[in-house]
Amino acid sequence: MIDTDLEVRHAVYEHFVATGEAPTAAGLASTLGIESQDAVAAFQRLFERRLLVLAADREQILMAPPFSGVPTQHRVIVDGREYFANCAWDALGIVAALHRDGLVRSRCEQSLEPLDIPVHAAGPDPVPCVIHFAVPASLWWRDIVFT
Amino acid sequence: MLFFRSEEHVNEWCQATGLPRRPLVTLTQLWHLSVAWYANRLTPEARRPAPSEMVAIFARIGLTGPFWDPQADTFC
Repeated sequence: MIDTDLEVRHAVYEHFVATGEAPTAAGLASTLGIESQDAVAAFQRLFERRLLVLAADREQILMAPPFSGVPTQHRVIVDGREYFANCAWDALGIVAALHRDGLVRSRCEQSLEPLDIPVHAAGPDPVPCVIHFAVPASLWWRDIVFT
Repeated sequence: MLFFRSEEHVNEWCQATGLPRRPLVTLTQLWHLSVAWYANRLTPEARRPAPSEMVAIFARIGLTGPFWDPQADTFC
């Protein structure tokens, strides 16, 4: 990975942590003092390495796993800030990445009833639930948004 | 990867959506996966686990077989 990619990747995650939202290429370029087109090129290289997921325009960040750049049914609250996760796994992953206590606020996908899961350093409280993996590991990146 | 209140709810959802019923993971197993994948994700040296590392992580928490093998051709 070239230095710019490392710098951009780190800045993307810093932005997600600080704001709960995906940065734009222009905003990130301004922060790093680089050209917007260079930020977009770095996004695309990181996408090819499966470190970011981009929208169809290949310029906007859809996912910087475990963070989601768009609202989902999986919300995570840590230190009073709300984040969106890409899936059940990433919801717990946000708490693991931040190394803080957190609250996962999701739902049962069948009954749509709310599902709140407090998560601590030692792991989640024993909330009755199960997680269904619909896609085999070998196919996750065929359609990572569906996965 | 979606949450469900119970296995019965998973079965109902699969029937309603027409999607195949796949393996279930417990909340504890999911936490172990989350830590393995993401505990260092915010560090500069962070990277995704390689396929062989993925298989080992899954196996440590009892998830084995082709479904959990990123290089399996069973489902192509």
